[in-house]
This record gives sequence, C-alpha cells and structure tokens, in this order.
Amino acid sequence: MKYKNIKYTFLSLLAVVALVSCSDDDDNTPIVVTETCDDGIMNGDETGVDCGGSCTPCEEAMAPDFTGTYAQVDFMGRPGINTVLSADGTIKDAHNVSIPSEMAATFQADFEARLEAYHDVYANILGADPAAVNYENNILGLDAPTLTGYLAADVLEVAPNLPTTYFLPGEDVDMDGNVLNDPAVIGLTGRTPQDDVIDVSLILLFGGADGIRFSGQDTDGDGVADLPRLTSDGVGQTATVGTTFPYLGAPE
Amino acid sequence: MKKSKLFMGLGALALVGVLLVAADHIDAPGAMGTSADIADFYAFEPTEGSDNTVFAVDLQSNVLPDLAYGTFDENVLLEINIDTNNDLVEDLVIQAIPRDGKMYFFGPVAPSETGLNGAIMVDAPLGSVDISAETAIVETTANGVSLFAGPRQDAFFFDFFQFNEVIGGTAPLGFKPAGDPNSTDDDDDTAVDTFDGANTMSIVVELPNSLLGSTTGQNALGLEVYKTWVTTNVKQ
Repeated sequence: MKYKNIKYTFLSLLAVVALVSCSDDDDNTPIVVTETCDDGIMNGDETGVDCGGSCTPCEEAMAPDFTGTYAQVDFMGRPGINTVLSADGTIKDAHNVSIPSEMAATFQADFEARLEAYHDVYANILGADPAAVNYENNILGLDAPTLTGYLAADVLEVAPNLPTTYFLPGEDVDMDGNVLNDPAVIGLTGRTPQDDVIDVSLILLFGGADGIRFSGQDTDGDGVADLPRLTSDGVGQTATVGTTFPYLGAPE
Repeated sequence: MKKSKLFMGLGALALVGVLLVAADHIDAPGAMGTSADIADFYAFEPTEGSDNTVFAVDLQSNVLPDLAYGTFDENVLLEINIDTNNDLVEDLVIQAIPRDGKMYFFGPVAPSETGLNGAIMVDAPLGSVDISAETAIVETTANGVSLFAGPRQDAFFFDFFQFNEVIGGTAPLGFKPAGDPNSTDDDDDTAVDTFDGANTMSIVVELPNSLLGSTTGQNALGLEVYKTWVTTNVKQ
C-alpha cells in the first residue's frame, strides 16, 4: 500500500471552495489520500495507469477479464420449438433454462397438449367436435407422443460428412405408411439459412400421413376452400444469403 | 405503403404484448428483447463435400421496436454446445464473448462443467475478431478457423402476423397463399415475410471437422450427426 499527502491538491480544493462560496461543510480536517491500483490515475511507483510497479504488471492488466461464473438465460436448438409448442410464458421461460438431456421428460406432455390445442382451434372453426379432430401420424409415421418427445429434446443435428438438408420428404417406396426409412428421404443433417424451416415444421405438425392434410383443399368442388391452409405460411426468403463466409448478408 | 403498414401493425402487436415470433426470436418473457435474446441458430456444411462445419448464431433483433439491438453485451457469453456421443450432454463447447470492440472465441474444448452454469475456457483460446460495422471483418486463424461478429440481415422468413391470426382462431382459411415476392401492392390476400428488412447481431464460426472430432450421435434416419444447441449466459 502506498500513501501520500496531497497537500497541493488540498490547498487548491480549498481555493475552489472559497471562490465558489459553496456549502459550509469545508471543515479543516486533514486529508490523507490512499493510492491504489484501481484509482484510475498513474501514481506511486506505477508505470502505467493502475499497473506496473507494485501493482499488476501492465501487460497482464491490459488483458481482458474473462473471470466469473456465467448462468444460462436463453436456449435454442431447432427453430421454432419453444415458440410454437410451449403454451405460455411460464413454460417458455422454463424451457430456456433447462438442459437437453432433461427436456423430453419435462416438456413432452405440455408439447403434446399444445399440438392438440392447435387442432382444436380448427375443429371449432370448421364446426366440428374438437375431440374428433386430432393430430394424425405425419409423413415420418410418428404418433403425437413420439413426435413431441422427439421435438422436446431440442437439439439441432448436423452431420459432419453429409450435405446439409433440414428435411426433404421423399416417397414411401416401401409402402409402409411413412417415409421414415425410405431411401429417398434425406434430412436432419443440419440447417442452412436458406431452409424453409417453418413449412417443414407445419408439414410435420399438420400435414398428416401425406403431408397435405390441411392445405386449403376444396373438398366439395364449389370453388371455395373447405379446409384451412396450415402446411405452408406462403413466404420465401427475402434476405440475402451469400456463398462465402460469413454467409449472412450485410445489414439492411 | 406496405412497410409503414407493417410497422404500425408491429407497434400495435407490441403494445398488446402479442410477441410470438419464431425461430427463437423474442420467444419468452424472461429473455425477450434483452441483449442476451437468441434469435436464431444455423449449423451446416458450407459447400457439398467440405470438411468444415459452420455455426451461425443470431442474437437480438430489430424486427419489433424497443428491442435490445445493435451492441454485443460484455456480460453475455454465447456458448455453442456439441454432443458427440448421443447422450444430449455437451462434450465440447465453443464460446464467444465481446471485450472492447473485439469478439473473443474459445474452444472447441470440453467445458469445465456441463449444465446451466459455466466459466470461460480461457486456456483454450480459438482467436478473436474485430466486431464489424456494416462491412464484414473476417479473421482466419492459422488452423483454418474463420470468425465473424457483427450486424447482418436476419435470414429468417415467416409470416408472423398470420401465424398469430392462425393460432388465435381468427383465420378460418389458415395461412395466406404465396404472392409475387416483388409486389409492392398493399393487399391483404397474400403472405408477407415479417422479417423482410430486419437485422440481427450475428456470430459466425467456420471450423474444420478435425477440431470437433468424430461422433457416435445418430439422427432419426440413422445418420452420424453432432447434436448441437446454443445458449446465452449472463455473468453472475
């Protein structure tokens, strides 16, 4: 520790006080100022501001501080999972401070209930019994508990040695009612900025076994759609994506 | 004009608190609109046959007014988590945190602890890059890693207004049909990309797969994959 009496500073302070005729607390108690390694000025035996001499060497002091504990506040794996399948703010917040190994057990039931609630929205609009309009096994052949359990374990898979395809449904070549193990199916190998992840998600959630269960069909041929359009949001990419690093386009 | 109408709509939605935006944009009350809010996450092979993997993370967004946007927060640590053995626990992390105009990267390295709390892996520096303004500044390290941090266009696309109508039960026809993407018509009959014109704060890392090693993870189709996710973490 280093001390010094800053007599001249004190005298000049008194002069300032006298000049501005300030408050009346300018008593005459002697002031002793402590030089420290964090007072923001170069003093004592320091060779730089608050470094060198008996303080931390200047080279070390200039290095950024990376110490401390950091606690998780937000989380993301696959796009849209928390947004679409968590029913309310409480579940969304809980999802953001959870870890993937515990997510399926924690969130699967909530996600399945949410998936059914979306179907009830359209049952009501169509004038049907909500209990009769339910999720139908999708193009992967997954039932509601399996699909929501898979999505609840919210990680983005990326294959190191395969082309990236978020999901591209193929044909049911082996005629087993789903495309899951058919050779034409590729996907789940990553996500590029160009992938239309919303349409893929909508197809898996509302498309049923053929992927087009609710896609604005005119079932009675009167020229007016009788089923809602739920398997595509109708938009393509508007942003610029390049072919070289950093890929994402310059800000607009 | 389409844009001004969009903006009024966004403002009205913000006022009534209807903020359901995917992919992960402003998704939950606890993280919504903060400097730590994750907007999006991409992981991909940059070109067919490449031995590199790219991780791109978008933080913050200006898609709605009054959101935190434009400055990386020195108290927010971004962590890219990579599971290489199929147990959904991170075996490797890549970390990024800003200090005084630079983004510092660490890893890929086994974290000192897994789960919700962690520390910066200072003994495994990957490199650093000046935080860009409009023009991208890219740093390429001796071991073939490319680094970037700065504002970028938000590549996400979604008719978010109509999504809210759909889930709210006020859109009997569901989503709108695709329109002419170059149309400037102000009509309500075709879909609109809510994220057209929005920007985000991006962090992009491209690295050789050799730095990540092999994986025994499998996807639902039986293909070998890394299982990855991103988190933001605030200094305690």
